[in-house]
Amino acid sequence: MTAMTALTAMTAPRAGRLAIAIVALLALAAPFLLADQPYFLHVLILTMTFAIPAIGLNLLLGYTGLVSLGHMGFAGVGAYTTALLMMDHGWSAVPAMAAGAAAAGVLGVLVGIPCLRLRSHFFIIVTLAVGMILFALFNNLDGITGGAEGLPGVPRPGPLDLGFMVIDFRRLGGFYWFALVVTLFALLVQYLIVRSDFGRSLAAIRQDEILAAARGVNVFAHKLAIFGISTALAGLGGALKVMFLRVAAPLSFELLESINLVLLTIVGGAGYLAGPIIGALVYVAIPEILRFADAWRLVLFGVILVAMTLFAPRGLSGMIEAGWRRLRRGPAVTGEEAADGRPA
Amino acid sequence: MAALLEIRDISKAFGGIQALDGVDVAIDAPGIYGLIGPNGAGKTTLFDVVCGRQVADRGEVRAEGRAVGRLSPDRLARLGFARTFQECRVFPDETCLDNVLFGAQDKRLGVEWRQLLTRGMGARSARRDEAMRLLTLVRLDTYADRPAAALSYGQRRLLEIVSTLIARPRFLLLDEPASGINPTLLNVLHDFLLKMYEERPIVFLVVEHNMPFIMSLASHIVVMHQGRVLTTGSPADIQRDPAVIDAYLG
Repeated sequence: MTAMTALTAMTAPRAGRLAIAIVALLALAAPFLLADQPYFLHVLILTMTFAIPAIGLNLLLGYTGLVSLGHMGFAGVGAYTTALLMMDHGWSAVPAMAAGAAAAGVLGVLVGIPCLRLRSHFFIIVTLAVGMILFALFNNLDGITGGAEGLPGVPRPGPLDLGFMVIDFRRLGGFYWFALVVTLFALLVQYLIVRSDFGRSLAAIRQDEILAAARGVNVFAHKLAIFGISTALAGLGGALKVMFLRVAAPLSFELLESINLVLLTIVGGAGYLAGPIIGALVYVAIPEILRFADAWRLVLFGVILVAMTLFAPRGLSGMIEAGWRRLRRGPAVTGEEAADGRPA
Repeated sequence: MAALLEIRDISKAFGGIQALDGVDVAIDAPGIYGLIGPNGAGKTTLFDVVCGRQVADRGEVRAEGRAVGRLSPDRLARLGFARTFQECRVFPDETCLDNVLFGAQDKRLGVEWRQLLTRGMGARSARRDEAMRLLTLVRLDTYADRPAAALSYGQRRLLEIVSTLIARPRFLLLDEPASGINPTLLNVLHDFLLKMYEERPIVFLVVEHNMPFIMSLASHIVVMHQGRVLTTGSPADIQRDPAVIDAYLG
């Protein structure tokens, strides 16, 4: 039996668990595997700083059907809150990050209360405006945010003594594990929500808001709750980003970054658990790989994105899922399967 | 004693069009009530008002003595109102079984959050047998694991009705349940609705244009015309009423 036939002979959940276990092991061992490749570790951490806000956006866009064009503004709220608490008030990293996420979440709820009753396109415009306002505040409140220069010198978490080893988060390898734990936490939140009754109600809202309400879903309350959670996750990602870059700068949270976040969520596969991770990997890695093309790399990146949109409309996760299903079915498709009607 | 469902002097206009003009309907006992009338008579608008999708300009709706005319659709659903739609609505991406199980789910936000860690599996598995029984009654059990989008229009209509019944409503409003259903499935639907009523006698309010279907199903008929109630009575009386023949039955 070849490795491929052994894989396709497995039940889907078992194969999925095996794939997750392999990815998890590789992710955990990356600082050892890439010990002499700090640049790759740098890229992986940067990927995670984009993946966490993308997970928040995925809950909104992929599972609830709401588009936010100002999400990196909320990431900025989490980032600056964390930076200020650590630098000016001496908070340690984890409580400061939690406070940053909470601040972004509370702001999300306050924005959501008047705006989530609007029709979807008006809501999109409001999120765009909120993102622009937040950027203007980050850029101009010199006394608080440091203006265009930002807040340099954001500290990283202190070392963690496990008894048998000390993890120094100020070094690249140590910070990688810190970022990995935060990313896993965000993924866990996403998983729990998607697989819960709450997640099923969100999916109902995405598919048919009128029917969801007729079946007993308080559409506004559910949207408000998920918007708060989504913006809190964006804030968490922003906090991680400024700790990694060691500076809170407004350009990290501008409108273009918010649009890129939507883009990478769609490219990765909106509505898939792994979509934000895959999207962030592509978004961060492809421009890095294309560096040989110099100034043309962003043009090439754009062409690749257009091609993905044309040939993988459900994102890369959807493409992988379709490929896996085809692999398991084999070359011949039975009449029953052809009449199945499921998107292949 | 208060009526089970009382629709009192309901009026609703859309711009210059008076969709409902002082509608009065009182339902004192469980039963299958047919609501008939020509297109534009205001039947669906009346459903929308009763189920909270539209707010009446005038009048009130009372359920067991309680004013419910200003409540939102989700609150009404939790009070026991369930409805289907004229255009047939199901959740297309979900499987048939998940569509039905969602009907049974407790959708209060606080309850859902408490179940975040348990994934609500206890309640879901408890309802699975009942969901499969209902799907079997409408011959959709073999489609249980298929997405609703893969069903024919008639099958989707049956799925929509099953999804409302599993919530064990006290008031079931069906908007043209027989439209688009082939004769074989129509018999299945007819028998299914009668069986459901026998198992749990509640108020069924059924808008329908298929006269043989509704006349054989309902025990009482309400006829609407131009936003008003023209007359009410038993199916036999209605079919003989000259005013109804003139306005609708021809």
